[in-house]
Amino acid sequence: MVLTGLGVVSSIGFGPQEFAAGLRAGRSGARPISVFDTTGFEYANGCEVVGFDPTEWLRVTDPADLGRASQFSVAAARMAVRDAGLEESELAGKRGLVSVGTTDGEAVDLEALLETSLNSGSAAMDGQTARRVPATMLSLAIARELGLSNVSAYTIATACSAGNYAIGDGFDAVRSGEVEFALCGGADAMCRKTFAGFYRLGTIAPDCCRPFDADRKGILTGEGAGLLVLESLDSARARGARIYAEVLGYGLNCDAYHQVAPNQESIQRCMRLALEDAGVKPHEVDLISAHGTGTQANDVTETRAIRGLYGDQPPRTISVKSMLGHTMGAASALGAIACALAITHGFIPPTINHRSSDPECEIDCVPNESIEADLRVVQNNGLAFGGNNASLILGKYSEKELVS
Amino acid sequence: MTTEPRLVITAWSAVSPYGIGRESFVDGIASSTSTVTELDQDLWQGPTSRGCLVPGFDIREVLGAKGTRKMDRVTALVVSTVGQLLADGGISTGEDTALVLGSTMGSAQSIMDFTKDVLVRELPYLVDPAKMPNSVMNCAAGACAIWHGLKGPNTTLAGGQAAGLMALDYARRLLIHDRAAKVLVGAAEEYSTERAWLDRHSWPAETPDRVLGEGCAVLLVETADQAALTGGRTPLAEVLATESRVYLEGDPTKVLIACVQSVLARAGVRADEVWAAVPSSVGDRGRLESGVVRSLFGAEVVDRVPTGDVLGDTGAASAALRIAAVLSVAEHSPEAAGRVALVTSADRYGTVACSLLRLADPASS
Repeated sequence: MVLTGLGVVSSIGFGPQEFAAGLRAGRSGARPISVFDTTGFEYANGCEVVGFDPTEWLRVTDPADLGRASQFSVAAARMAVRDAGLEESELAGKRGLVSVGTTDGEAVDLEALLETSLNSGSAAMDGQTARRVPATMLSLAIARELGLSNVSAYTIATACSAGNYAIGDGFDAVRSGEVEFALCGGADAMCRKTFAGFYRLGTIAPDCCRPFDADRKGILTGEGAGLLVLESLDSARARGARIYAEVLGYGLNCDAYHQVAPNQESIQRCMRLALEDAGVKPHEVDLISAHGTGTQANDVTETRAIRGLYGDQPPRTISVKSMLGHTMGAASALGAIACALAITHGFIPPTINHRSSDPECEIDCVPNESIEADLRVVQNNGLAFGGNNASLILGKYSEKELVS
Repeated sequence: MTTEPRLVITAWSAVSPYGIGRESFVDGIASSTSTVTELDQDLWQGPTSRGCLVPGFDIREVLGAKGTRKMDRVTALVVSTVGQLLADGGISTGEDTALVLGSTMGSAQSIMDFTKDVLVRELPYLVDPAKMPNSVMNCAAGACAIWHGLKGPNTTLAGGQAAGLMALDYARRLLIHDRAAKVLVGAAEEYSTERAWLDRHSWPAETPDRVLGEGCAVLLVETADQAALTGGRTPLAEVLATESRVYLEGDPTKVLIACVQSVLARAGVRADEVWAAVPSSVGDRGRLESGVVRSLFGAEVVDRVPTGDVLGDTGAASAALRIAAVLSVAEHSPEAAGRVALVTSADRYGTVACSLLRLADPASS
């Protein structure tokens, strides 16, 4: 099972080329939040998507019929299909899976409806806005726009690991032969209620996100979408497609412990499940793209889980959230795309904004500057509220290692 | 493609307008009585005065005071349904047990209640941090995992009215790829004031006889081999095939027919072998779906199992509750043994799904 197309909507660039260049340069997406009113917050930086025009990406749907997250989702899907060198009409003739992970769905629209309701009464809510709300739209909008009827369209709502959940399910569906392709990933649009919630918990950084840093102050909320085209190696080779990386396996589990606090033992078990599924030994892993939110609790717990599994010399462990902020349901999908690009182009994206390493986080986070590296096996972590952990393993695709 | 292991349903439970637990559901479906009630206007200030609610569903009375202080209604529906199922069958949980839950958006009420504090408090961040998890769509599944010790894959699917069937297909993939030994597959929807308003504004032209309902149904699904290994669990039905598709234009008819034909073909079942076909029949879209299924299988087959309208529009829970209805009817129908049942769903947003089950034949096991 291989990745042949990548679509990106992010605060540091659109499309795989721009995104790869941003990752290599260590570009920061942080800026003062403009997508919602930040009055009353002492500080409000976030990683917004700037300059996104939905009309560039929508052909059959009126942009007003889709929320911002669904618009991101469609744009990234269309980019991924194009990047894979596929015609949309060609895909329509195949059985497929569309799967999009999300945390908040169209919570922006729900807030708008609530505002109407508070100001003018519930009877005054707007129907078009209400119809945009169900999260199932994030995947159905892709099917509708790309003209795909013979697909299962799933929206996976497992919060901040949902992107990995979606990619994992795509992997299983392609692997068992029940679909010829999977178009999967994650999407979220920044919303005020999530910002306020994390702010209240004291986990929004005042300036920027510094994962694994001794002075880290928390996350920056972000937004965007990452969608990937997954197909069998046979299918990719038959059409001469470029292969970014192989999907080797994944692991899912649930802490069943606490809705919010991460659990070291359970995260460790999730990563172990992923390695076992991929048939990979810990020493074969060259890089971990951590969940790495930049909160005190996450970074210590995740680092300990990594050391618990990998021992005293764990692979380099980076956090792309230092650049992208926490893009919620899109986070692990964008992380997986970053991993695929790192494998393809032979570099390790840095953990930016780094000043002094936290002795409690004993890993090499590749501070501030990307480095050249030949990556063979990479792990991408996604952790979430609800204890929904998901870890994905990607490998370098190498023609000569094929057993014919 | 290797031969897939056979998947069987070995236990189920439901919390619905017929009451809490399997028996009340079986009895309710047998009676087919309407569950529409006048709502207490002090509690429910929605656009209509009627609904199909789980009677007496007070969260603290049903689940106790401990751990329920911040629990919302949909979470409580899921926690109590799964609790009923596990207790009925004396089923153990742990790392090998997955939960796959279909939903529309978790609790619209919780999300909006949490957001309300952002809008009305003197400072926008004076939200209740303990209720933040309730504002995320996977709250019910995560809370249910904590309550019942479910440490396997824990997946929330936002799938609208077809969510239960989509969850069943997702669970199949978990099982055949050995990601869990058994999966609790279900779907849930709560009645709430905010849901009722969103529904009213989304579908203003809908005929007024559609009443919102609520409930949760959960099935225990495992491989036939695993069920045999455990000794005590007898298959109630085999899941022959499940599929979902997307209709791109306004009318789901063609895609629904294609989807039905596809699962029949995949299962090697002829249309005339289908003993019961159970479409949604709620509202305008349900009537359309029901008409299509009736044209394919005839009135006798469609009328064997009371369709969802007796429970109102149960949203995401609808298809899962109809699988429970099939199993309920089969329990009292000796002629159902070994026969095939089809459950369909045409969601208003664009999903069509159907699932084909073969009811167990106690004589042959």
